[in-house]
Amino acid sequence: MKRFTNLLVKEIRELINKQLIISLVMLVVIFSFIGQTAKTEMKKAAATQKISVMDQDGSELSKGLAAGLKSANFSIEWSGEKDPEAAVRAAKKGDTYLLLIIPPGFGDAVARFERKEITTYTFLRSFSLGGIRKSEVLKAVIAATNNYLSNNVLKSKVPDVPADILKSPIKTKDYVIVKDRMAEGSASAISGMVYSQSVFLPIILMMIIMYSSQMVISAIALEKQNKTLETLLTVPIPRTSIVTAKMAAAALVGLLSAAIYMIGMRSFMGGMMGDLKAGAGVDAVVKQLGLTLTTRGYLLLGLSLFLALLCGLAMATILGVLAEDFRSAQSLMLPIMLMVLVPYMLSFFADVNNLPPAAKLLILAIPFSHPFLASQNIMLENYSAVMYGILYMAVFFGIMVFMAARIFSTDRVLTMKLRWGKKKVVL
Amino acid sequence: MTTVLKVEGLKKSYGSKEALKGVDFEVQEGEIFALIGPNGAGKTTTLRIVSTLLSISAGKVTFLGHDVKKEPDKVREKISYLPEEAGAYRNLKGIDYLRFMANFYSETSGQADDFVKRASRIADLGLALNDKVGTYSKGMTRKLLLGRALMTRPTLAILDEPTSGLDVINSLEVREIIKTYAKEGISVLLSSHNMLEIEFLSDRVALIDKGKILDSGTSQELKDKYQAANLEVVFRSALR
Repeated sequence: MKRFTNLLVKEIRELINKQLIISLVMLVVIFSFIGQTAKTEMKKAAATQKISVMDQDGSELSKGLAAGLKSANFSIEWSGEKDPEAAVRAAKKGDTYLLLIIPPGFGDAVARFERKEITTYTFLRSFSLGGIRKSEVLKAVIAATNNYLSNNVLKSKVPDVPADILKSPIKTKDYVIVKDRMAEGSASAISGMVYSQSVFLPIILMMIIMYSSQMVISAIALEKQNKTLETLLTVPIPRTSIVTAKMAAAALVGLLSAAIYMIGMRSFMGGMMGDLKAGAGVDAVVKQLGLTLTTRGYLLLGLSLFLALLCGLAMATILGVLAEDFRSAQSLMLPIMLMVLVPYMLSFFADVNNLPPAAKLLILAIPFSHPFLASQNIMLENYSAVMYGILYMAVFFGIMVFMAARIFSTDRVLTMKLRWGKKKVVL
Repeated sequence: MTTVLKVEGLKKSYGSKEALKGVDFEVQEGEIFALIGPNGAGKTTTLRIVSTLLSISAGKVTFLGHDVKKEPDKVREKISYLPEEAGAYRNLKGIDYLRFMANFYSETSGQADDFVKRASRIADLGLALNDKVGTYSKGMTRKLLLGRALMTRPTLAILDEPTSGLDVINSLEVREIIKTYAKEGISVLLSSHNMLEIEFLSDRVALIDKGKILDSGTSQELKDKYQAANLEVVFRSALR
């Protein structure tokens, strides 16, 4: 055990170097900076915004529209220009993002049930989210005004029937059923909330597997490149301990890096999403439907993630042996990257169960697919699918470790090379 | 004299290529035994097999009664291997590298300290031991590795081109160190292209070419046999 610890400590020291620390610190700083900047922009967008308004009508209706804009947190800058072209030129020179032109006769036309156009100009001074949000708020104000006007007309014509019933005679009552539980709510809102709560999981998983695998492949390749592997293989420590120490060190540093990455990511996402939170109603429905992880669920998910990490590390160990040097090690990451990216992308866009059988089989044969599917399956109580995935990964890991141990216990660890040019494996 | 290493009918193939075609020799306690031969003769392959790095295709290698093929772990406890192009971990300080290697062989931290002190004496790098290995010259790295190879006083030190990359002064120092440790009872199996070095260091020499031992004996015996002034001429005559 003393010898194993000695090796493990060395491996960790080799992995946690200045470059790693600097890159992780930079990552957190950059993500935090972007997050904070985005947050500030969002706050700016939500704060009182300037809008230029050219009211050529001066009716009660146009004044009402302006009042609506004020209540939507706009500060109105009245345009004193005589024609719309001049108003656009003046607004362009200023710092306003929006210009609203209410034409003469607007109020009268609406009173006569004639559709009258009001013109809006959005000055895209940047492509930030804040700029887009401003024009969305303006549209919402106009839509609310339209609604108000039509409701008033309907109220005057048919006073006994509420306007919203006249406009939308069919009303839906939405229920969502999950297994044997049912709750009233919108399927899209519930899916959205579950998705937003679990959006980090695939990112964490992808990061840990790719980062740790990269470290193992690089560690073995560097041993070869720096000519230290031969010496290491002649010291009195079992070869399995050498493999295990490399994998354990990479797993530990990978987990640590992922945790630091997530701190940065959280700050980034916090800034991007701002204070956008799902309503308490959706939250209650999600709980009612049992779409939250229980202790058992967390344990199964943790086990699934852990086994996926081990599978990645074992594969990386074998691939690392094929590398001749650090450079060739980078290209050897490709199989693992593809095996992680395919289920990662699918977890966003497709339902594995609805894929054709051959494609489904292919996806399920990739060990990394299972943790991506696990959280969904756990919430939907498809425990057998989760257990199958865990069992499959355990078997896959066992085979990979057996192969890695076999390679390390023979001279193949020194003689195996993947020659890209000749496209053959030399054993 | 106790036989430390016995190599009998050793064969090694890489696919269809036969690197060793039946090599036989013995190394006695405290003896410096050298393999000399051209590139690709099978010197490094032989040393790697004795070091438990490569498998044996046919034949037998016994170290202190342990079959290298069947009991590699027992062999590794008592040997030390210095590969020709060996390196050390570039991110570690020289002293930390020695400590790391000493920990594999020591039972207590006191014993590890003794190993590190001995290695520091052999390497003779002074304050540079506190610098990272990545900053070392090739010669400094070689001396560090030689210190590492001899610090545990292994029963058998396997040295592949021990003075490779060293300047004249450093080479002389390294040869003296090897000679001193052999006198203290360490057996040495080494390979070299440098015939003068072999003549100075070795008690016995084996001439190897194309995976076969052509001849063996003390330098003097070989020179007498081939009526040659030095080992270079001996080797040329043996090849004919």
